Amino acid sequence: MLKKADINKFIAAVMNNGYKVFGPVKQEDGVSLSELKTTDDISFDYFNFILPPKRHFFPWSELLYKYKDKTIHEAPLPEDKTILLGIRPCDARSFSFLDNVFIDDKAVDPYYQNRRDNTIVISLACNQPLPSCFCTSVGGTPAGKEGTDILAYDTGDSLFFEECSERGSSFLKLYSKFFSTPDQADVQAVKDFIAKAEKQVLSVNIKNAAEKLKEKFYDSVWDKLSFRCLSCGVCTFFCPTCYCFGLYDERDRRIRVHDACMYKGFTLEASGHNPRPTQSERMRQRIMHKFLYTVENFGKIFCVGCGRCVTACPVNMDIRENIVEVIG
Amino acid sequence: MSTKPLENPYIPKPVTIEKITIENEAKDLKSFRLRFVNKEDEKAFTYKCGQFAMISVAGAGECPIGIASSPLDEGILEFTIKRYPTGVVTTALHNLEEGDIIGVRGPCGNSYPMAGMENKNVVIVGGGFAFTTLRSTIRYMLHEKNRSKFKNITIIYGARSPGELLYKQELEEWEKRNDVEIFITVDKGDENWKGREGFVPAVVKQVAPGSENAIILICGPPIMLKFTWPPVLELGFTPDNIITSLERRMSCGIGKCGRCNIGAMYVCKHGPVLSYEQIQELSERP
Ligand SMILES: Cc1cc2nc3c(=O)[nH]c(=O)nc-3n(C[C@H](O)[C@H](O)[C@H](O)COP(=O)(O)OP(=O)(O)OC[C@H]3O[C@@H](n4cnc5c(N)ncnc54)[C@H](O)[C@@H]3O)c2cc1C
Ligand code: SF4
Ligand code: SF4
Ligand code: FES
Repeated sequence: MLKKADINKFIAAVMNNGYKVFGPVKQEDGVSLSELKTTDDISFDYFNFILPPKRHFFPWSELLYKYKDKTIHEAPLPEDKTILLGIRPCDARSFSFLDNVFIDDKAVDPYYQNRRDNTIVISLACNQPLPSCFCTSVGGTPAGKEGTDILAYDTGDSLFFEECSERGSSFLKLYSKFFSTPDQADVQAVKDFIAKAEKQVLSVNIKNAAEKLKEKFYDSVWDKLSFRCLSCGVCTFFCPTCYCFGLYDERDRRIRVHDACMYKGFTLEASGHNPRPTQSERMRQRIMHKFLYTVENFGKIFCVGCGRCVTACPVNMDIRENIVEVIG
Repeated sequence: MSTKPLENPYIPKPVTIEKITIENEAKDLKSFRLRFVNKEDEKAFTYKCGQFAMISVAGAGECPIGIASSPLDEGILEFTIKRYPTGVVTTALHNLEEGDIIGVRGPCGNSYPMAGMENKNVVIVGGGFAFTTLRSTIRYMLHEKNRSKFKNITIIYGARSPGELLYKQELEEWEKRNDVEIFITVDKGDENWKGREGFVPAVVKQVAPGSENAIILICGPPIMLKFTWPPVLELGFTPDNIITSLERRMSCGIGKCGRCNIGAMYVCKHGPVLSYEQIQELSERP
């Protein structure tokens, strides 16, 4: 157990050991995951961060190399020791999905892997799921441990820390002087807390979605679904598990930036041929990718049920309704 | 977590353009012969027939191109590249000169089943400029070290017009050999053309290569593929012995950027070489 009153001391000690700490910071427009400079603006009063935390491992834009004097000057690989504090379990789960893509035995993405190796994730169990949340329908829970090193529960005055990985355990050992042993009441409080939160999460019936989607590739439902869609890509931008990117040259440098399957140009070939010419094929790609292709490739639905795409879509597309409509 | 990568797969290796050959009358197809600037890069770049590489032009970007040279062509790499008027990288490439330095990343993707083709009759069917990786394969099979490993080799190759046929000098050399049968066709000949006229699928029907103990490699534009499957199947080739190579827009070339998938299959990683059988199993039919 860590008393909230002591959290500043704990974080100061962590920073002293050379870590950059990103945590929930109260700002004018809500709490966001920001680098902690001083320790006194931490707030545990938030639902979830507006932006997905994937950018800490896979930034919106990053420099790969500069090209000068006819030679390539590689950007140094990221080495910062980092703590991400207060990540919600759905988002922590997204990290383990991204690992499947970026750390694959055939080709490892060194930028992603370095950041991942140097980062300790301390997630915070959800006590108040949002109406747009549906983590339990896609394999998560408000107190899920997948993708995290340490899971914290907010029990009021204190945080209860649970070790979820070896890395998490050895990290906590270094700071044991800040923690007290939980008593029976604390353990019970945590149990009650999980049970209460789980009940609040909306349930969506997507059983056997992958199997059913296999039959829906050539279905008119995609035309209907995509009718409203603006192709703006906001859903993918906010999605913690969307990882598509492009490599581009900007004068003397090569950069990598996020990209999205919802854009027409994503698959447009130089000859003018486009295998996904209308929004219908693109909507199909987004849903099929998350609910079928990743199941085939990694055994996982690439949606953690965070609900960000639901709240962010300018024309109120709701992936929960969409998937139910498709699989019928 | 997994071990550190030895190599950053996003960093191209420098190569010098040793020779540029204009391949066709329209002058939008050029072959580039490249040599690695660093010996250790050359050694590390071991490839197989059918693989591709990402070609970089600084300031313009990168694009995937099939490797046209054979793994036995020591010290060099060759690519034949079509320039698209709107294509950023291909246009930049066509503006380069011998001696210029560009970048190569790879090799990427899988390859033709070379081991599975040994002791078999091999039929090669190519249309247009998709002939490049087939040329790599033919060079490899016809190499003195390798020729005895393969039984009969039959090549059917077509282009729109005589001026659009690639690798003319090599075609002539192959025609002179008696250990390979080659049928060249053009959609429409000109006054000097004495050869065959007609579309590739029709020539496949006329030539009717036997399917017994045979494997067939087919590359060409989608329309050619569409009309070539039926006669090939009729000749008795089984779907697992019909091999082709697919194309999709790419960016990373290593299965990460999410761009090149057809269903759950990523062309850059699981492909580009697929059998007709595998194509039939895709949720999306290319
Ligand atoms: C496996 C494979 C092998 C290929 N082999 C050859 C070859 O041997 N010779 C040849 O001339 N062409 C080949 N192509 C096609 C070639 O990659 C495109 O013509 C080229 O990418 C166009 O790039 P651009 O920058 O000029 O066009 P732009 O339209 O400016 O393209 C921008 C970017 O989109 C991507 N892109 C656009 N069109 C394609 C496309 N058809 N396929 C893949 N990526 C694309 C590239 O990354 C490119 O940098 C191959 C494609 C693939 C997938
Ligand atoms: S698809 Fe929507 S609900 Fe699912 S993880 Fe992405 S943003 Fe969250
Ligand atoms: S956010 Fe909504 S409108 Fe925009 S691309 Fe996604 S589904 Fe379409
Ligand atoms: S080109 Fe990036 S995944 Fe295939």
